Amino acid sequence: MTTPQQPPAVPVSDLVGKVEIAPDAFPRKVLFVAGAGRSGTSTMAGLMQIMGLHVPKPEVAADETNPKGFGEPQWVVDLHDRLLKEALVQVSDSRPDAWFETARIGTREKERIRVAEWLDGHFEVASELVVKDPRLSWYLSLWRVAAIRAQATPVFATMLRPPAEVVGSKQTYYQNRLGSAHLAASWLNMLLHTERATRESVVDGGRVFVRYADLLDDWTKTVMHVGETLQLQHVLQARSEAIRDGHRFVDPSLRRMTQTLADLNLPPRLHELTEETWNELNKLAEPGGDTPAVHEALDQLREGYVELYEEAEAISRSSVVAAEQKTRRAQQERPAPAAPEAPGFAADKIPHGLRAAVPPGVRRGLRKALGRAR
Amino acid sequence: MTAHFSAAGLQNLEGHTDFDITWPWTLPGGLRPGATAVLRVKNEAPSMPFVLPPLLRACDHVVVVDNGSTDDTSAVSRAAAERLGRADKLTLLDYPFEVARAGKEHLAVHELSVHSLSYFYNWCFAQVRTSYSWKWDGDMVLTTEGEASIGDLGWQVGHVRTNVRVPRHPLYLDGTGRFGYLDLGLFNAEEWGFPIGPDYIYSKAFEWEIRTTPTDSRSVGLPNGLCVELKYLDGDEFAHWTDPASFAVSRRNRRKRREWEVYHALQDGVVPAGVVEIHAPEGVHIVDHVTRDWLPHAPRPLQVADVPLGQVAPR
Repeated sequence: MTTPQQPPAVPVSDLVGKVEIAPDAFPRKVLFVAGAGRSGTSTMAGLMQIMGLHVPKPEVAADETNPKGFGEPQWVVDLHDRLLKEALVQVSDSRPDAWFETARIGTREKERIRVAEWLDGHFEVASELVVKDPRLSWYLSLWRVAAIRAQATPVFATMLRPPAEVVGSKQTYYQNRLGSAHLAASWLNMLLHTERATRESVVDGGRVFVRYADLLDDWTKTVMHVGETLQLQHVLQARSEAIRDGHRFVDPSLRRMTQTLADLNLPPRLHELTEETWNELNKLAEPGGDTPAVHEALDQLREGYVELYEEAEAISRSSVVAAEQKTRRAQQERPAPAAPEAPGFAADKIPHGLRAAVPPGVRRGLRKALGRAR
Repeated sequence: MTAHFSAAGLQNLEGHTDFDITWPWTLPGGLRPGATAVLRVKNEAPSMPFVLPPLLRACDHVVVVDNGSTDDTSAVSRAAAERLGRADKLTLLDYPFEVARAGKEHLAVHELSVHSLSYFYNWCFAQVRTSYSWKWDGDMVLTTEGEASIGDLGWQVGHVRTNVRVPRHPLYLDGTGRFGYLDLGLFNAEEWGFPIGPDYIYSKAFEWEIRTTPTDSRSVGLPNGLCVELKYLDGDEFAHWTDPASFAVSRRNRRKRREWEVYHALQDGVVPAGVVEIHAPEGVHIVDHVTRDWLPHAPRPLQVADVPLGQVAPR
């Protein structure tokens, strides 16, 4: 009879090359959840929060459009709202040039300081943060700089949902205010540029693309893939109760839209670009799918979209001119608000010709004596 | 005359047809999206290992044009790109003509001469195949935040006609690799980013070249603290100028006069007002320390204030 051999007495860490990190030693990391609105960004942020990542407080309150909550810090939403207004950019904006308009705001030192200080303050509370907002893609560069200043590693998760479902969901939940062509174009603009914005930069700690359908189908597999790829310690070391909470949180019936692209009746070229972009983005969600070949294909699609937009913009110039004229006329026809009673200055009642006859030096002296600049 | 009247390109006065310029936007296929950094270099071998990696990561392409280096600038550049695994992004070229030094020498040369700074620049930028460009110097090193900012702006500009201003701060090096002197006593934010196109080409200014820009061109400025310019205290930092008299008077050359004062003060062992002395930790090169640690984590806004010239008093 032979004696069973004892396994060699070596630590597991030596075998797999990995060690458990103690919670107080988790490195600073911020997960940015990007993607078009109604693509499962709230579900992803919510799951990350359940796993133990920190959503900076206060959060936006749940409502009927998102009964499980948004997982969005109110400060971030307010910031993006303000910055988008300043840049004259809409949340769903189909203009390729809109990326420059938001980038311009993001180069301002005061905004960089503001965002970096906010992020730094929340790292005092927790070492792994999750920041999510449907407007986030417009300001990813600003957030990347803030992460650098806060000595944190930025990582990115972009949610993917078939464009027809996103458009359908937006039309339903936002009461169909926007046409499907505009919404599809905005989706293209958002996704093509979000992909570009999250390509590896100097301090980045990686990125993942996640299909909403995969998250709803088997969130444990999907979330662990995100955790491993982005080295999110709270996910890697999640407690059993957090996993139970995850199951309580995810509701597969959340995916209520089943429209197809054909249902949207898009202009043919837009339909084609949307379909091809969706196909390429899907490749990024596959294991090992984030490759230079896919980047190149997406670069070409982005270029194709820019060309299409520029053509459409050139053709529809008359609509823009008519809209400008209509706005101008509306402003002219609006009754002028009553002018507040201005404090009267005796000099203002003297005819200009007479005032001009007063030597400039004397005029300056009089103005100074009256405390007036002019 | 100014060079930009030519629609197809430029022919040089000397008849070196192999160095005539064809504007890249007239080539079949046109320009592709993205940004290219263009560096005109001469004897920059010590700097290139610091300058190139951030640029190669941040830009779609980098063109290095060597103009008569007597050191191994080209080989060092190639090696730096290979070490990074991005040799595919680097194009190394030679421009064999002696180019006039800034100042009086430049003023005396016609802008269509191969010896003119403006012709040289136009030739260099004619090698670009992307729609945006960064004019870069062989001694300018991006910080971590600078690299991220340039990398993002390179695609965000898209088709928008805009210049980008990048403040830079001289970093004087003493040759030990441990000590550096960062000059924050001068605010200097030149335009370094430009679209490639017929409205953005080089012409002649009094002391050097100037990039023409259309009046409706937009302009964006990055904050302070994103780029340093390496200055070697054991090198000749003024060799590209005709003589000191060329930058002695004009407001345009105030920056150069500040550099002259700081350079000579440091050589005399005096750290002038506005200059910060920085020591790198053991085992870290001072350039890496300043660009990856010291500047990215310096309090913001970075305090940069013009120190009056002629007052090189120690701190």
